[in-house]
Amino acid sequence: MSGVEERNFARLMVTPAVGLLFLVTIAPLLFSVVVSFTNLQFGSPQPMRWNGLDNYVNLTLRDTRFLSALWRTILLVTGGVITQTVLGFAVASLLFRIRRGRTVLLSAILIPSVISQVVAGWQGRMIFNASYGPLNDMLARLGIKGPAWLASQQTALTAIFLTDTWQWTPFLALIILAALQSLPQDIVEAARLDGAYGWSMFRFVTLPLIVPVTGIGILLRGVDLFKTFDLVYILTQGGPGNSSETLTFFTYVQGFKFFNPSYASAMSFIQLVLVTIAAKMFLAFIRRQRSF
Amino acid sequence: MNKSFKNLATLFGAGALTFSSASGELPNFNNVTVTVVGDAGQNMESLNKYADDFTKAGVTIKQVGATFTGLYDKLKTDFVAGSGDYDMVIFYPSYIGDFAGNGYLTPLDDLMKKTPASIWDPKLDEVEPPYREIYCKWGGKVYALPYDGDVLELYYRKDFFQDPAEKAAFQQKYTRDLVPPVTWKEWLEVAEFFTRKQGDTLAGKKLERPYYGVAEYGARGFSYGWFLCRFASAGGVYFDENMNPKINTPAAVEGLQNMVDSLKFCPPDVLSYGYEELKNAFLNGDVAMVVQWSDVGKKTADPQLSKVVGKVGFALVPGTQVNGRVQHRTPMPVGRVLAVPATSKNKEAAYWVAKYLSLDKSPITVSANWSGQDPYRISHFADPSHYKFSDEVSRKDYLDATEANLKNGFPDLNIPGAAQYIDALDLAVNKALSGEADPKAALDGAAEDWKGITERLGKDNQKKFWTEALSSYRAAGLLQ
Repeated sequence: MSGVEERNFARLMVTPAVGLLFLVTIAPLLFSVVVSFTNLQFGSPQPMRWNGLDNYVNLTLRDTRFLSALWRTILLVTGGVITQTVLGFAVASLLFRIRRGRTVLLSAILIPSVISQVVAGWQGRMIFNASYGPLNDMLARLGIKGPAWLASQQTALTAIFLTDTWQWTPFLALIILAALQSLPQDIVEAARLDGAYGWSMFRFVTLPLIVPVTGIGILLRGVDLFKTFDLVYILTQGGPGNSSETLTFFTYVQGFKFFNPSYASAMSFIQLVLVTIAAKMFLAFIRRQRSF
Repeated sequence: MNKSFKNLATLFGAGALTFSSASGELPNFNNVTVTVVGDAGQNMESLNKYADDFTKAGVTIKQVGATFTGLYDKLKTDFVAGSGDYDMVIFYPSYIGDFAGNGYLTPLDDLMKKTPASIWDPKLDEVEPPYREIYCKWGGKVYALPYDGDVLELYYRKDFFQDPAEKAAFQQKYTRDLVPPVTWKEWLEVAEFFTRKQGDTLAGKKLERPYYGVAEYGARGFSYGWFLCRFASAGGVYFDENMNPKINTPAAVEGLQNMVDSLKFCPPDVLSYGYEELKNAFLNGDVAMVVQWSDVGKKTADPQLSKVVGKVGFALVPGTQVNGRVQHRTPMPVGRVLAVPATSKNKEAAYWVAKYLSLDKSPITVSANWSGQDPYRISHFADPSHYKFSDEVSRKDYLDATEANLKNGFPDLNIPGAAQYIDALDLAVNKALSGEADPKAALDGAAEDWKGITERLGKDNQKKFWTEALSSYRAAGLLQ
């Protein structure tokens, strides 16, 4: 078989897979791009027509509900990633120092991360119940009057944040622990000989070495937090009012409650662009840290 | 080949059906599977309870559950995609305009007329008019059979209302008798009266925890129903005849303000109260009054579920003083009807299952505390023997109150786009309850949203649907 024939044969072999991929991924994606520039609404007697950038202009300049949801999502992502990274590092450092029983302890700590978000949400509902929940009961024993977590505009988003943090901190702890365990011991030893301890060891040796692995974990968490839906659905349905409505929840409302696919598609693409930009910026930051 | 075989089987099935009907037994559909979708839990429980009957009729039921608030999304997605996954759907009748109007449902008139009548006639003539006219019909045709006669009802702790010390204290403070509130103004007074701090006394007992006068449905999803109680009794209707929203009139704003004021006398986390939490607050004995769906009345009498057995009174949902007399309008949020999708592959069997649940087994279902179904037929009220209450007085009071609320029933909006209109209204109510906006601003916002929804769906079309809805309200005797 000649080189050309071999290449053609290879192309033939991958064609079904590429075709399938096109049908189930690329085609729907292209369709939703097209739809986002129309006025398509299921159940509307109005014919579908080209809308240009109307949906995008409305969303970014006029739709205050969308902009508030965007702001809330940014808060949730930023707060969640920072908190979970710091706590994850603390947990990983403790586990790193433990010699015996580490695997058992790690398995136990990881339980929240392996249960489904829906289950975590229902647990959250019980934990944050203002009248019967264990959290407010514990606070009351300390003499603190706990808030109505899920029923207050001030705390509903916090309850979502806390549930997510409870569930996903172990995941980051696991990633950071793996990074700590793979630190090249010769570099650590050399740094010690040069007098690096405590903060200087962490800042100039440990941190740059664990950044590549930890960064991936943070990136995954950030993207995941940006897509937070299940917890909002189970814990608050976006309420009270729309004080805990995130971007994905609002997109769901537009797409599957209002059956307004054109608007929901436009929202999805704005989110895609935002996540891509944020991810690019974060990866650039990681690269800078690594070359420090 | 396969299709021919199916046709042959259907033919044999029809023959068997005729034979079995004549013998007065269940029909025989020759082993068909009917896939039923609805909101999971107590509202699909009857499919399990009567499974043996369906099996005897040659019908295997396959259940698909959705969440209480996610049912519309699940159904509409299936209908829009035309996947034909379901043979029978249980849904909230506010969506009938959307579903029937868009051709997603099978008209049932022809199936209803088939013989023998004992198998096919759902006896709609003895269904209470609001359910029959508004919730089952669209454009003059029957698209659904009633399954759950949801209507709200006022529940109160009659032991406290009859307590001599409490009566005297109330008389002294408000210079009138302590009776269940007749108006929403009185609701606030009674709510205030019964709200007590930990350590206070209530009906001669020292309270170990705070006690609350009332609770409301505060969570997103159906909080609008508790606003409608106030709005409708003040004479509110959703739109004027030109499709202009009427949900932000001064009377509507006053109604929402009343609901906001009521929060002072509610448990602190009431804004997270959905059906379960609101029900449990009352059944656990934590509040003196609630407005809840009529199925909760049956649950108050079940010692497994309730700590207040025999202590509950039932009454009309409060009203509003209009032109010198108190007008009551009790919302009928949710409710459930049974319908056959246009894409169903087993329409006859699916229709029969619907009819069997809607008529034959309904006296048992609506009176049982394992179900979420409430009475909707005149016969359900005429024969109270199925209802299990601790005493005759409670049983009679419950049925009288349920029927009285039903006779003053105010329907959910049921034109196409109802899910969007209702969601916008619910959000506005929730914003006002949470303090995010004052009642006027919240309702003005909802009215603007409603205008936008109407424009998107086509104003002329929506106006036509609304005119049709108004005539069905009139046919049901709810409007002059």
